[in-house]
Amino acid sequence: MFSLMKAAVGGLTGVCRVNGHQQGPLHCHLKVLVAGLQTYEIPPDYSDVVLPAKPKLKFVNKVPNLKKPKREPKKLRDIQGPTRGADSFTQGQYGIVALGGGYLHWGHIEMMRLTINRKMDARTMFARWCISGPYKPITRKGLGQRMGGGKGAIDHYVTPVRYGRLIVEVGGKVELEEVKHILTEVAKKLPFPAQVVSRESLAALKKKHADMEQNNQNPWTFKQIVQGNMLGIRRVVSPFDVHHCGRFSGKFHFPGRV
Amino acid sequence: MLLTSSSPLYFFLMSLRSMFVLSPLDFLHKLRVQLCRPAAAEAGWLPVTQSVRHGSKAVTRHRKPIHILKQKLLAVTKYVPPTPVVPKGAYPFERQEVKEESGFVLLLKRELKKLFQDYKMVAVAQNCNSNAEDMRILKHRLHRHGIAVKFFPNQVMCSFLSDSVYSNMAPLFIGPTVLFVSKEPKVKEMLTSLRSSPQMTLLGACIDNTLLSAQGVVSYSKLPSVSVVQGELVSGLTMMTAHTASMLLRHPAHLSALLQQYVKQQSSEEAPKAEEAT
Repeated sequence: MFSLMKAAVGGLTGVCRVNGHQQGPLHCHLKVLVAGLQTYEIPPDYSDVVLPAKPKLKFVNKVPNLKKPKREPKKLRDIQGPTRGADSFTQGQYGIVALGGGYLHWGHIEMMRLTINRKMDARTMFARWCISGPYKPITRKGLGQRMGGGKGAIDHYVTPVRYGRLIVEVGGKVELEEVKHILTEVAKKLPFPAQVVSRESLAALKKKHADMEQNNQNPWTFKQIVQGNMLGIRRVVSPFDVHHCGRFSGKFHFPGRV
Repeated sequence: MLLTSSSPLYFFLMSLRSMFVLSPLDFLHKLRVQLCRPAAAEAGWLPVTQSVRHGSKAVTRHRKPIHILKQKLLAVTKYVPPTPVVPKGAYPFERQEVKEESGFVLLLKRELKKLFQDYKMVAVAQNCNSNAEDMRILKHRLHRHGIAVKFFPNQVMCSFLSDSVYSNMAPLFIGPTVLFVSKEPKVKEMLTSLRSSPQMTLLGACIDNTLLSAQGVVSYSKLPSVSVVQGELVSGLTMMTAHTASMLLRHPAHLSALLQQYVKQQSSEEAPKAEEAT
């Protein structure tokens, strides 16, 4: 009985037995190799990423709580030119950067908040506002009113945004591809041209402009001609253009200008 | 005359009142302003109309029309990118991208290094369409003679060989290759085993740090073994002394007869040589 079993087992193992190495009942003798060698990229290590307690975007008020809201002049220069601050990442890895100037009102902010909060995964990512709530009052006169009669009443509030400002930041244990589709959806709906960036791509954008300035083959530059007032060109060039070297016109930014 | 509020004298007196507080210049200015304003405005029943010229705004929703001179300036100061000396696509990319080798590749290379150090014979064969069954049988046959079968990816192999002494072996590693390695160069047994499996084609070998082609391997197999060759060499070297020893062991009569014959030969040779000389 035992000898029979032994023989059976021995026979079975004999079929699969390999010459003393790489033994195992399921081991295949034939090794199929390909010309190359598949090397797998090591996935990124997120052990040092800390998610905040409240990962979702906070609710932003439509109206700032002021005791006496004052009417302000239009001051469209808060849209003009590049941003003075808030143009770099603080906590997140990916974000939306404005490529033009414009006003964000509460509707835009709500759209961003709802879309991002709905589409993001609160367990692995967090989002943060880089802009404040609307604070600039915009006045409107009633329908059918004639010109004159003083300034209108405050209708709503807006947040001015300049070129280069970050709107929203997203971070966490995610890669760009997981977050890109959410942010592009939001960026398309903004009232100014906007782009989804990561830390590296934002640095690359800035570097690109610096490189363009460096390797420009044109011997004539806007700055040189205007600062020297060659041909009396200051007559048609505004002080704003002198400062910004023709890269901006109103709220628009020209990426091709150096 | 009654001193009414609209009379100039009234204004003068009112302004005099403030004279002691303000400077003389302010007083004069105020006086002038007050004298210039219409009387009706003082009462407040006519709006003060002032026409102010409004210019166009700098920030607009549309692209603002640009002055022709500024257009020309922008055209002249356009960005001109640097032109490459060689147009793109003219030459293939010569510099190879140096990729950092992963841990697995380094491990394989270390194994290969050990292999070349430990094993004397490293033969390369190409296998086409061999089953697991055939492979198993071949492995078993080779294992009996102490030959192991190894698999390595060609990329890793070529990169290892290019750095090592065996760089000339690199052209052998094209296609599905198998390595047969053994500590002792058992070429004959290997060839017999390979002959039985038609799928394996021997490409070359590195035996005792000597690279051999397939024909070289065959001729190597035909060589006699080291002991045989040594024996032959020894016998060749000691042939003369052995012959002499065996000759001396013969009967002295035989030896003397040989010597006499030798002397006769010598004399017969000398005589024709003397005749030729004369």
